[in-house]
Amino acid sequence: MNQYVTLTIDGSKVSTPKGSSVLDAALRYGICIPHLCYLPTISESGACRICIVENIVNGESIITSSCTLVAKEGMVIRANSEKIRKLRKNIAELLVAQAPNSRAIQDIAVKCGVREVRYPFRHDDCILCGRCVRVCQDLYQARAIGFIGRGSQRYVGFPFDERPDFCKRCWACIDLCLMKETPCDGPMEIGQEYLCGKCESTTMAPQFDSGDCIRCEMGKGFGCTRHNM
Amino acid sequence: MLTTLAPILEGRRSQPHLLIEVLHDIQKDFGGISPDAIKAVSTELGVPLMEVYRVVKFYKAFTIVPKGKNVLTLCMGTACHVRGSNPLLELALELLDVQSGETTPDGLFTVEAVNCVGACALAPVVIHNGIYYPHMTPAKLQDLIKQLQEESQEAKDA
Amino acid sequence: MHRITSPENLESVSRRLAAERDDGKVLLTVCGGPGCQASRCHDVASEVRKQVKDREIEGKVRLRVTGCHGFCEQGPIMLVGPEKIFYCHVKPEDVGEILHHSVNGGGVIERLLYTDPSTGKTVIHEADVPFYQAQTPDLLLQNRQVDPLSIEDYLAIGGYSALAKVLSDMEPEKVIQEVTASGLRGLGGAGFPTGRKWAACRAAYGEEKYVVCNADEGDPGAFMDRGILEGNPHAVIEGMIIGAWAIGAREGYIYVRNEYPIAVEHARIAVNQAREYGLLGDNLLGSGMEFDIQISRGAGAFVCGESTALMVSLEGKTGEPRPKDVEPVERGLWNKPTTVNNVETWANVPSIIKNGASWFGGIGTEKSKGTKILALTGQVRNTGLVEVAFGTTIRTIVEDIGGGGLDGKKIKAVQTGGPSGGCLPESMFDLPIDFDVLQEKGSMVGSGGLVVMDEDACMVDVAKYFLEFLQDESCGKCVPCRMGVSRLLEIVTAITEGKGKPEHIPLLKDLGETVTEASLCGLGKTAPNPVLSTLNYFMNEYEAHINEKRCPAGVCKALIHYYIDPEKCDGCMACLNVCPNGAIYGEKKQVHTIDTQLCDKCGICLTACGRGAIAVQ
Repeated sequence: MNQYVTLTIDGSKVSTPKGSSVLDAALRYGICIPHLCYLPTISESGACRICIVENIVNGESIITSSCTLVAKEGMVIRANSEKIRKLRKNIAELLVAQAPNSRAIQDIAVKCGVREVRYPFRHDDCILCGRCVRVCQDLYQARAIGFIGRGSQRYVGFPFDERPDFCKRCWACIDLCLMKETPCDGPMEIGQEYLCGKCESTTMAPQFDSGDCIRCEMGKGFGCTRHNM
Repeated sequence: MLTTLAPILEGRRSQPHLLIEVLHDIQKDFGGISPDAIKAVSTELGVPLMEVYRVVKFYKAFTIVPKGKNVLTLCMGTACHVRGSNPLLELALELLDVQSGETTPDGLFTVEAVNCVGACALAPVVIHNGIYYPHMTPAKLQDLIKQLQEESQEAKDA
Repeated sequence: MHRITSPENLESVSRRLAAERDDGKVLLTVCGGPGCQASRCHDVASEVRKQVKDREIEGKVRLRVTGCHGFCEQGPIMLVGPEKIFYCHVKPEDVGEILHHSVNGGGVIERLLYTDPSTGKTVIHEADVPFYQAQTPDLLLQNRQVDPLSIEDYLAIGGYSALAKVLSDMEPEKVIQEVTASGLRGLGGAGFPTGRKWAACRAAYGEEKYVVCNADEGDPGAFMDRGILEGNPHAVIEGMIIGAWAIGAREGYIYVRNEYPIAVEHARIAVNQAREYGLLGDNLLGSGMEFDIQISRGAGAFVCGESTALMVSLEGKTGEPRPKDVEPVERGLWNKPTTVNNVETWANVPSIIKNGASWFGGIGTEKSKGTKILALTGQVRNTGLVEVAFGTTIRTIVEDIGGGGLDGKKIKAVQTGGPSGGCLPESMFDLPIDFDVLQEKGSMVGSGGLVVMDEDACMVDVAKYFLEFLQDESCGKCVPCRMGVSRLLEIVTAITEGKGKPEHIPLLKDLGETVTEASLCGLGKTAPNPVLSTLNYFMNEYEAHINEKRCPAGVCKALIHYYIDPEKCDGCMACLNVCPNGAIYGEKKQVHTIDTQLCDKCGICLTACGRGAIAVQ
């Protein structure tokens, strides 16, 4: 019984255990698919949409998040096409315009090729990536925090906005938060936000980036799994 | 709390998928779902507290604070919109000094904006406690609110 | 009521009930649809019952309160006698006269007749009312014949005979073939071929399967599903049983939005009646088939109309959509194969089985077969539910059925498909109602809402309206929808406030495309449609707002001001007295003026002025 499946990502054949996601498969081989809300060993979400790829089925391209897409035998994936790069850039631009006061988000913006921000900056301190919620639910089984409300009113909070006694005070939620580290030049004041772009000089410009991992410094900002290897 | 909720929980204990039906019944009988009720439902139905709270906060039909004596439901559907529902909502919120979806501190009025009640031929529609008011205008709405305020005042004085 | 045990048993029961209907009494049909309900048709019906009893004419007159006829603008509607004399705007005070004429053989009450605005003449019979003539009513025709609270009515007109045919004569694969051959496509919005969906679900791995009826009709301005579920719930139930047979499901759910309490009630009553007659439960019609339906309510979330969110909600959780990398037909409700179809889709199934796939295929266009019920609303004379064959042009619907614009105003656009759809300008009204044609032009048939907009509608404001709606209803899970819609709204709002810039146009297009491609679910994917379609066809309005800081339709508050025409004002002080902001000045018999700084354009003075002296500039 074959425990592995073989699929093609950007022309390269990769092998991955059955049941793993396309993102898992890519990272295993050093193919960089930028990702933000993904955490290894914790359930995937598909919320940030940064890890989107093109899944070619019957000649048609279906865009979906690679962290939720289960790898199947013979799948053909395009993770670095012009279309995908443009979508990632626009999504990263939305993220950095929403919450610029975070090293991880500034890093991912550069990685995805954002050069200008066309929207007025907001000063949010949460992008609802859900890492905290998922780690509380999956790893510590406490369910002390969760997503409350809908749409632009959605936020992460405790029941009745009070820390319950079944919160285990493990602080894993804070540890994994993308907003934990402020930009390299220090925290940004309200009204003084800007696109940092400092790491630009240490990475290849996106149009030359083949998608293979270059073990960039930026991975540190959002805890890229490759950085820990 | 458990005794008052007993009839609603009857036959539904430990069945998490019935959460929404249970909450509907509580909302209807008590006008709102109090924190104590949320905790009781969590225990009796076997749904984590966080999840029950999330469901209450996600769906517009459920409120933690009980709704007011006079619930004014303004339809904001497309047909009502092109026939002028926005000015009606702004007027209601201004006259009663309340936010959309919320209840006045004296518990008398709730103004809620819903998306299409299915009576589009009578646009714009305002519903007061289940009674439909067709072809509403700002002037008519102003009169209606004044009338309801007077009636509430009389009831209070009586 | 007794259990029906076989197809033959069903036939004899139906024949008996049909004969009982033909009893020689004068039939008064009162429409009980959503529009008429809001116009208090039940007061009329109660008055009829009371007077029939008081006058002791039960032997001469029969009252039937039916499902929605569709002509909501003219409600309450009553049809009298076999010739179907058509009375509109009926009030309880009219009942006495109507009964008098019905019992004493004829006579028509002139003041209650419908006046055709284009000829100025009154129309006597339902068949001559122009609103109905251009329609192809199949489902709505059934509505007019049945009291939704009476399963006997449905049986009398041949209801459940399609089920009998299926259970006695058609293997599940044959049913799927028939539905596929008919060309029926999902009528809830996406237009996916129904037969193909059923086949995939039947083929999916697993013993436990489900059928679900999506009655979460959340599109604002749409009430077709309400009209069917409230008006003829048994058609939906019969359709679901047939579908369950085809797929191999033993349980079904009807998920009704919470804002439709009457539909919930009618569905519950119908399900109970079906159970009593043995049409739901065990051993249906002696075939051994087991199937039952549960009614479930929504709780006020538009996103729960999306099929994955609906299933999550059925499981008792928050309605957050799931990625559709695995289709619901393979893993849906409780991870089991599930077929989710819309109310109208289910309701069409019995007719297809009864009359055959080629009958259905003979109606409509090449790729869009059958009829569609549309909710015709907005700035048009005749609003209500209309049923037309696919292929009918928008112009026919707006002009012939809808009767054209209000107050002689020029119609500018129609909006179809709700918040997921787009706006089409008047120049495109010769397009047919067809899934693929409308999609190609940037709109869609969608659930069937068709909102007519005249020159008083600002298309930028319409885009803003839909974005506000979507921002409110978005579940908030994924970035492109949550942040993207918020930014689209931010930009369009700025444009309506006179703060628009030329570079906003390409930005709206770029962001719109991103939201469409990258969102997790259908709500996000179609969210930019209203903006993109208005940009496409009404660019001149956007340009006026941005370059000239002007709103051509006179809607956007920041760009208009109210003023009093000194030629028309006679100083009656009516406006002054009602202004909530004290923004109007003037003495009695002197021309009044509006202080634009205090005026917040609430509109109360416009209706208060009897001389039409207040204008918007």
